[in-house]
This record gives sequence, structure tokens and C-alpha cells, in this order.
Amino acid sequence: MTDTQKRLNSKEFADPVAEEMIVSRSFWADARRRFLSHRLAVFSVFMLLALLLFALFGQYFARWSFEEIDWNVLGRIKTEGAPSLENGHWFGVDDLGRDLYARVVQGTRTSLMVGFVAGPLAVLLGATLGALAGYFGGRLDQIITGFYTIWISIPYIIFFVVWQAFFGRSLTQMIIVIIIVNWTAGLLIVRGQVMMLKHREFVDAARMLGMSDLAIIFKHLAPNILWVIVIYTSIVIPEVIMAESLVSFLGVGIQEPNTSWGALISEGARTMTFGTLWQLAFPAAFFVIAQVSLYYIGDGLRDALDPKDRR
Amino acid sequence: MFNYTLRRLLTVIPTLLVLIVFSFYLMRLAPGGPFTSEKPLPPAVMQNVLERYGMDQPLYVQLWTYIKNIVFHFDFGPSFAQKDRTVNDVIVQGFPVTLTYGFWSAVFVLVLGIPLGIIAALRHNSIWDYTMTGLAIFSQIFPNFVLAPILVLLFTLSWGLLPGGGWNGGQWEYIVMPAIALGTSYMAGVARLTRGSMLEVLNAPFILTARAKGLPERVIIWRHALKPALLPTLTYMGPVFVYMITGSVFIDVFFSTGGIGQDFIDGAYSRDYSMLLGLAILYSLLTFTLNLMLDLMYAWIDPKVRSSL
Repeated sequence: MTDTQKRLNSKEFADPVAEEMIVSRSFWADARRRFLSHRLAVFSVFMLLALLLFALFGQYFARWSFEEIDWNVLGRIKTEGAPSLENGHWFGVDDLGRDLYARVVQGTRTSLMVGFVAGPLAVLLGATLGALAGYFGGRLDQIITGFYTIWISIPYIIFFVVWQAFFGRSLTQMIIVIIIVNWTAGLLIVRGQVMMLKHREFVDAARMLGMSDLAIIFKHLAPNILWVIVIYTSIVIPEVIMAESLVSFLGVGIQEPNTSWGALISEGARTMTFGTLWQLAFPAAFFVIAQVSLYYIGDGLRDALDPKDRR
Repeated sequence: MFNYTLRRLLTVIPTLLVLIVFSFYLMRLAPGGPFTSEKPLPPAVMQNVLERYGMDQPLYVQLWTYIKNIVFHFDFGPSFAQKDRTVNDVIVQGFPVTLTYGFWSAVFVLVLGIPLGIIAALRHNSIWDYTMTGLAIFSQIFPNFVLAPILVLLFTLSWGLLPGGGWNGGQWEYIVMPAIALGTSYMAGVARLTRGSMLEVLNAPFILTARAKGLPERVIIWRHALKPALLPTLTYMGPVFVYMITGSVFIDVFFSTGGIGQDFIDGAYSRDYSMLLGLAILYSLLTFTLNLMLDLMYAWIDPKVRSSL
């Protein structure tokens, strides 16, 4: 035996190879492996988890509630309202003497809630409509794509502002309007995928077994387009958080005393002329960390899932 | 080409109709109105006010009158909240402001974004490339409402170079910060996209041919690579325009430029139906016009698209 043959037969080499051949690798296992090799993305997942934990449990470390006014520092906010460990205002106080740490916890909660509830729901709605349009074609397809074309040419802020101003500024309304505004996300690409997949043999087979159209769409086509939905969700979530913040910044977002990142940034920006910079810095930092993490997670997911990009 | 333009122009009608009808009913069905205040008006006065604005008639009649006035008289009606101004007045005063810094912002996006992307592509994997990509990601994540306060903090509060707001008849000092705050993240997007497509084009066979012919690098880039590399950037500009229009609402509010964005937000607070609707139509028309122009330009550049029209 030559050296090469010896090496190929050696235990260190042969065992992993055999294992590799036995364990067949599914699409999702493959994707997971690729995602985990994207270091920034993995790190971002941890950052996002940290933000989630902060939103869930941050309040237990606050010494003040988010609506309570600290009369001791009110009126002397510039000198005594800065972040301090002594009086328990970890992030300082806001313009009205309320604890900024507690308010950031509250704002993080609102913003993440809006992003992670409204974003996926909007994509699901768009994907469902896209799948129906692609599968059935014909008149239904014309109606849905026609409405899509009309919808995307309306600047979203208009609906957002009108809706928020007229229907009260609660979290539920915010989530509803975001779904209405963003339902077009991912519609076209899902439609395209379904149009391509519906002529494949497995769909014919399912039809011959007597499955109904809807069952075919949701049982057989859905798993095949799940990757598109995942990618689009990862794009839409930061967009939604950004939109919510913008609207809150404009003053038509979440109602006081509840708050969100955008509302906090807006307050901080208004008061920065008085030198109370921490009021801008903390909310802006949280917002930017979230956006950066979501960006890299989305990037990692795209690399991991997009079949055009197989390495 | 002509038929295509005409077809596109016709689609604006259903779009605006959907917008008007939807917004109209949405606003009217919501509780409250422009004349509800904490101290309610006496019923007789209220009746007079409603009659004055034609709001005593059934909703569909009001909607019909509204549409008729726009189509035949180009009249968007009186403002319900600002007693002495009509919506037309507001548009005539505010719209040029928004358009002016919007235009300069678009110039900033293209004139800085495209060269940055090209430089990064030509010096692929160099320090230039990494700095550019890093900056691009960074500024894409910094939305205008985070960037604008930071700009004011630096240029106005710390260095005192530029005024922190206002318009003053559109002197350049008053345009710089709104234009930069509005455009930066899209500038970054344009740079990133141009870099990507330029890299792709530079690896294409026809560039290899040009190199093999012995053409100087300058000619290869300007004459052969640039046009195909800019196509993706052009498609990206469509949504960018929409976002910039959206962003201008914020810029108007934050920099108190006196543009229409401020009136729009004020209108939302005071339930100024005609103001909201009129400005919504204006914003949509603007989006539509920009997108149409972009598509025509696209057809002009790309022969494949032209032949399919």
C-alpha cells in the first residue's frame, strides 16, 4: 500500500467519510451549517437574544417605573439627571424626570413586539396571496397583481399617519396598520416560485391522489417556498421597526406614557440643545444595535438559504 | 414606446381612485372630526359650519363633489383647520421647498454613490473597498431620523457652521443638511449596488475581449462597463424615490423647512380631511411620475427592455 492509500484507509479519515455518507443532509441541515459558519450572523443572533432578554427582564433591574416622575431631579435635569449609579437612574432621566432606563426597556419591548409580530404576519399575508395568485392564475391573478401594482405606488407613510391619527395610537392599531401597509412584501417572489413549482411532478402526483388545491398549496408547495418566506421576513422585520420608529418620531406613533425607540429618539433629539445628550444616545444605541444585528442575521439567512448561491 | 407611456399614464387613474376612495372613507368613518373640540360647539353653530363645508350631505355626495372639483377646477378644497388657506395655497407654498432639497438630495445620492461604488469595485478587496462597504452598511442602518439629530449636533451645536433648521428662501446653507440627512442611506445603497454590479460586469466575457484587444483601462470602464453596470442601480432608484418622498415628511418636520410634510402631519392631528387627502394625492402623483420617468430611462438604456415594450 502506498502512503496515500494508507491515509485514506486510516481511521481518522475513513470514519468521518462514512458518517457523511450515512447521514444524508437535508436542505435545512445544510442551511444551518452554512448559517453557523457565518460568524457575524451568529454573533448577531446573540446580540438580538440579549435585546430580547433585556426587553423581557430589564424591568426587574429598574429602581423606577417608566411613568414615575423623580421630583428630586426635576428642574435640575441637566446637572443631576445624568446617568448615575447612586440614584438608580442607570441611563439618566428624560425631559420630564422619568427614569430613562425603565423607558428604554419599555420602548425596546414595544419596538420588538411591533417588528416580530407585524413583520411575519405581513409576510405571511403577502405570501398566501402570492401563492393563490400563482397557483390559480387567470382572473384571480390579475386582480391580486393589479392591486399590488396600485398599492406599491402609494407612499406608505400616508396611510400610516392617517390611520394612526384617526384610530387611536395603541399597539394593536400599530400592528394592524403595519400589516396593511406591508402585505406586499414577498408577494411577487412567492407568486413566481409557485408558478414554477406547480408544473412539477410532485404536484401532479398530489392532484392524482385527489388532494384539494388548498391542501396542495399548504401541504406540498408551502415547504418548498418556506425559504423565500424566511428571507423576506428577515428583511421586513428591521424595515417594520424602522417604520414604526419614524412614525413615532413624527409624533403619531405609540401613545404616552408608553413609548418606543423612535419616540425616545425623538425626545432625545428635541432636548439635545440643552446638553442632555444621554437622552438621545441610549435609545439611538439600542436602535442601531438592533438594526445592525437584524441586518447581519438577514445577510446570513440569505447566504444560507438562497439556492442560487450554493457553494 | 409611445403606447407604453400612454398605457402607464392611464394606470394612474385607478391608482388615484383607490387612494382617494379608501382614504376618504377611512377618515370619515373614524370617530371625531375637524370641528370636535373639548368644548363642543352649540348645535346650531355646528350645523352652520358643517353646511359651510358641505359636510351635511351624505358621504358619497361629498366624495363625488370632491372628485369633480379636482377634475374640472383643479381645486383641492379649503383647509378645514387653517381657516384662511386652501389646500392649493399650501401646495403652492410648500411643494417647491420639498422639491428643491429633494432634488439636491437625489443629486447627492447619485453623484457620490455611483463613483464610490465604482472605486470600490475597481480596487476590489483593497482598504478602499472595505472602508466603503463598511461605511455603506453603517449608513444604511442609520436612518434619517437618527442621522439628522447627529448632523445638527455636529454642524450647528458644536461647530456652528450651518443653521439647524428653517428655509430662508432656499439659500444653500439651509439646503445642505436636509439634503444630506434625506439622502445618506440611499447614497450608501447606491454605492453598494453599483459596486456589486460593476464587479459582475468586470468579470463578463465582453470585458475580457476588450482587454484582449488591448484597450486602455479608462476606455474599458467608461465605454464598455459603465452602462450595463448602472442598470441595477437604476431599478433601485424607483423604490428609493418612494422612500425619499416618505422621508421628506420627516425632514420637513425636523428641519422646519416649511415644506408640505409639516402640513401633512398637522393635518393628521387636526383631522383636516381635505389637507390630508390633497397632500396624499400629491405624494402619490409624485411617486408615480418619478417611477414612470425611471422606467422610460431604463428602456432608453437597455435595448432588451425597449424591444419588449
